[in-house]
Parts: sequence; C-alpha cells; structure tokens
Amino acid sequence: MYWLTKEQLPLLVQKLAEEYKIFGPRHDRVSGEVIFDHLPDLSELDLQAAIPYNPPKFILFPHYEEILKYRYQPETKKVRIEQLNLLEPKALIGLRSCDLTGLLCLDRFFLDQEYVDEFYLAHRKKLFIVSNTCIRPFPQCFCVCTDSGPAAREGFDLDLTFTGRDYLVEAGSKKGQALVEELNLVEADPESLNLRKQIIDDSVSSFDRFALENKAWISRATNRLTTGFIKPEVWEYIGNQCFECGACSFVCPTCSCFNIEDANLASGETSRLRTWDSCSFEGYTKMAGDHNPRKPVEDRRNKRFFCKLSYSQSKKYLRPGCVGCGRCARVCPGDIGLPNVVTYIRREITGESGE
Amino acid sequence: MVKNLVPIVSIPEVATIVDIRDEIEEVKSFYFTLDRPEIEEAFKIRSGQFIMCTVFRAGEFAVSLPFSPENDRKHISVRKVGKVTAALHQLEPGDKIGVRGPFGNGFPFEEIKGSNIIYVAGGIGLIPLRSSIVHVLQHRQDFGRVILVYGAKSSKELMYKESIREWQATENFETHFTIDRPEPGWSGEVGFVNHLTAKLDLPVSNTVAFVCGPPVMFNAVIKELKLKGIKEQNIYSTLERHMKCGIGKCQHCAIGRTLVCVDGPVYTYKQIRTLGEQI
Repeated sequence: MYWLTKEQLPLLVQKLAEEYKIFGPRHDRVSGEVIFDHLPDLSELDLQAAIPYNPPKFILFPHYEEILKYRYQPETKKVRIEQLNLLEPKALIGLRSCDLTGLLCLDRFFLDQEYVDEFYLAHRKKLFIVSNTCIRPFPQCFCVCTDSGPAAREGFDLDLTFTGRDYLVEAGSKKGQALVEELNLVEADPESLNLRKQIIDDSVSSFDRFALENKAWISRATNRLTTGFIKPEVWEYIGNQCFECGACSFVCPTCSCFNIEDANLASGETSRLRTWDSCSFEGYTKMAGDHNPRKPVEDRRNKRFFCKLSYSQSKKYLRPGCVGCGRCARVCPGDIGLPNVVTYIRREITGESGE
Repeated sequence: MVKNLVPIVSIPEVATIVDIRDEIEEVKSFYFTLDRPEIEEAFKIRSGQFIMCTVFRAGEFAVSLPFSPENDRKHISVRKVGKVTAALHQLEPGDKIGVRGPFGNGFPFEEIKGSNIIYVAGGIGLIPLRSSIVHVLQHRQDFGRVILVYGAKSSKELMYKESIREWQATENFETHFTIDRPEPGWSGEVGFVNHLTAKLDLPVSNTVAFVCGPPVMFNAVIKELKLKGIKEQNIYSTLERHMKCGIGKCQHCAIGRTLVCVDGPVYTYKQIRTLGEQI
C-alpha cells in the first residue's frame, strides 16, 4: 500500500495520459450530470463526483461500432474485406467498484465462453484501470446486496481510497506496481491497511442512512427465477409497466446484447455495424416471415431478469449479473428497475400484499 | 499462435456461387465453393450445423446446412422471406457471398448408431434434415429401419424431389408422403403429417425420431410420437432463431437458459421442454 497525495493525483493522470487515452467521471458542461467519458481536458476529472449516469461499458463495447468494412463490385465480382484495427490504449480512472464488477462480468462473457469475441478483446487488450472506493454510498446504490462494493477486490491496476485528504493506493498488477514506483509514491505503514478497512466498514454501515432508494436482497429471488416458480400474474404486472424503451439495458453495466447491420455508404463501401440492442424490443427475437417466439412484452421482461439473476446466467459471469448500481431504477419510466422486480418476486414468496 | 481456419469466427470468407437450382416456389439452392483453397480444404462440417451467410451490400443471415459432411456438394437452400434472402435470390452463378462458420452442435450420430431412424418433416423443414438423411444413407449398415415421413401443403411444395428419388433407389429406405388437400394425379396420402404419422406402423424400441417443421406441425407430431411410445429423449429437432453473431454473444437466439447458436441448434424434445421458455 502507498500514499498518493492530493497534489500527486494530477501527476498520476498526466503520466497515464502519455500512454493512454484517458476516461473518467466529469460533470457534463450543460446538464451538470456526472458522466463517465473521455477527458480531453484532464483537469475535468472529478474523483469526488457522484456515481456517473452511464457505466463505462461503451469504452469496450461502443454504442455502435464498425467491426468491418467491405467493397463489393458486382461487375467484376471482386470483394475486398477490410479488418479494422481497434486497438487503442485506454485508461479508466475513478471506476466505482460496481462498474468494475460489471466490466469483469463482460470480460467473462465475451472472453471466457466457447468463443472469444475478437472485437471486445481488441478494446480490452490495452486497458489500465484505476478504481475508486466509495467512501459513502449514493442514494441509488445497493452494491452491498449484490456483493460488488463499496470497494474493489480484483480487476484493477491501481485502487484508490480517499482518506479525507490523500489517497491510499493499492497496486493490483505489474503495470500498476511499475507506475507506483515510477511516481516514487511513499509506502504506507501497516496501520494504513486498517485505515482502509475502517473506511470501507464505515461506508457499508452508512448504507442505512444514505442509500435509501433501493434494496434488493436477491438470493431468494434468484432461486425463484431459476426454478421458474413465479406466477404468470407477477410477470404480467411487471410487463404492463414496461415501456419497451430499452433504457435499462443501455445503462446496465453488464447488458451486452447487440445487433449487426450492413450499412451501404455513399463511397460504395459497406460498413458492418454492431450496435447496442435490448431484449425489451419487440423486434429482438422476430424472425423473417414474421414468426416471433417471444411476442408478449411480459415474456421479454421475464427474460431480462432471468438473464440478470438466474443461476445459469450467473455461471457465465461467475456471479449474479446485477452489480447494484441502481441505474435501471433511475431511468425506468415505469417502476420496474431491478430492485423493484426483486421486491415483487419476494412479495410473492412471502405472500405480502399491497404496494 | 496458428489460428484455426475453421470455424470462420468473425470475418467472413468469400465464396463463389457455382450453381443455382430452383427447388420449389420461392426456394432455391445455392451451390458454393470457398475462394481460398486452404479454407475450401479445411471447411468440414458436422451434420446439423449452420453457417452465417453474407449477401454483400444486404446483410447476413443464419442458415442450416443441407449437405452431408462427406461426398456431397456444398450448398444452402433458402426461402425468399426477408430483405437479405430476397437479395440472395437475385444472385447468379459467379456472384460472391460471404461465409462464417460452421457453428452449432450437430446431430449425435455416434450415440444413435444401430437405432431405427424416423424422419418427420413438414414443408421446408426437410432442409435441415437433408444432411442427416444423406449421411445415414451413406452409412446405411450402421442403422436399422430408416423411414421418412414428409408432408407439405401441395405436391408442388415438396422439397428435394430429385434427392428423394435417389434415396428411394437405395435399399431399405421407406418413404411416406402426404399433402394437405387432394390433387389430380396424387397417389399418396392426403392430410396433415401428424395424422399420417399416427396411422403408420412405426418402430418404437431402439428408435430415434428427427422432427422439423413449423411450430404447429412440430407439436402435433411430437404428440403422436409420444403416444406411440417413443421417449422424449429420443426425439430430436433442430431449432431456428433470429441470430446475429453465431458465437454466443449477441444473445438474440436465447431460449431460457440456452443459446441456440452454441448449445444447439439440435436438441432432444426432453431438453426443449426444460429450456425454461416456450419455443
């Protein structure tokens, strides 16, 4: 463990900027909302800012991305397919532990299954991650219910914990260790380990005071979702509130469904685009010939929560697919963010009635 | 690291259409060879697998492979049903397509060696079963009775008439056909394929069934097979879903806990029933 003074923080960021494109939390100039974004102006980085409106998944899995380009000339029957070089070193600074956990879920899903997703891998290869402990939860947070916070345990190159004035720094990789040494950071005494633990404990115990918007004790809901013993009426109630806007998928750190379309360009080339998609859209499972196996909206809603919480999906992520960031609850125009859905399912189990 | 040439995972390989055959109305077979010799050489499939086919400037779609892994010309049989398949139907011999794959699990021939096999197909449901039929007839001595029960709306809508004639010339291949309504000159059965299945004297013990066709037909046929005493784990089908990637990432083909592109497309009826979602 090392100490990074407040004054040294810009040096660390500067140093990373020499090699990496820098992303981090900043305030949107118009709305004031905290967003996780590219930082052309490094001074805009705000590590004390609230949990960003968006998760960082777009950095590895962009909203839309050209995954290949081709030119086909029907007259000469010539095809030229161009593979794109997506490799660009990127540093994510100030990642909250929920978002880091979400990123690790995406890693396991895109890289550890039957096939490796080459496009995700290209983004992932040269990444530097600096996580940031949440010394106090935000109103929407429930990471203590999903075992993904308030502090990071794995997956970072450097981990920062704000102690009131300075930061305690832990290196989680060789790259991180090398940077710590390059910056000549002062080694912290063994006592500071206890200090970090104390800060995290205080954060956990303050959830009851500050994180009041959401609760989601997911384990029993997980059981029910896996076994399928949930009454159709519960899904109908949930389905009736779904606007099919897809916002929950787009702000979710672990949602990764995509669509692929070929777009013909004015240049005569065709761009193969991969774009975000959502299982809430009616066209998601629709096949040519108009057969749609998942037509009613409640079938589609049911699918999303199955994907987040069932055992079979958890096997792919090695944990539940929900990381407790509370973003779906904030953006849902109905009232069916994941915490509420868990509540509806639990209510059915315990037989409680009423709203 | 030497990359495996097959399956072709992300970047399509260019193939040339060498021949096109009209099968039935709106359905054509496209015979193709892969342009790079090393890929053409390495491109081996298992019966029951599928590919992602690019029609340049139109898009990509998932399509089952109707040819046998051995001694059979590479082709796909496609109904004109959407934007991309309509563009494919415009193509001529010499035109190019893109190929990714083969993907999916395929039929379990090792496990069913020695069994009787009943194929039940409805309409273009014969397409994904063709590969298996050709393979089984190429290894005829490994199996017991082999029976095809095939139904379509009309005699004009029966697929692969030429292949069927060849198969019928093989010894020990029983065929039964039915069409929905009577037609002049039709000497086969009339009625739905599930009714024909019910009427036939089919083997039950040491028997597997392969069923493929539209959902209504599928469920009705399964019911008849079960009534006859064929077990759910001995009834196989191959499922079809909207797919974008073929490698288990886009999630469009998810049915409950399974992904059709990597866990399927071949499932036993017992598996299908416990997927956790309607098919």
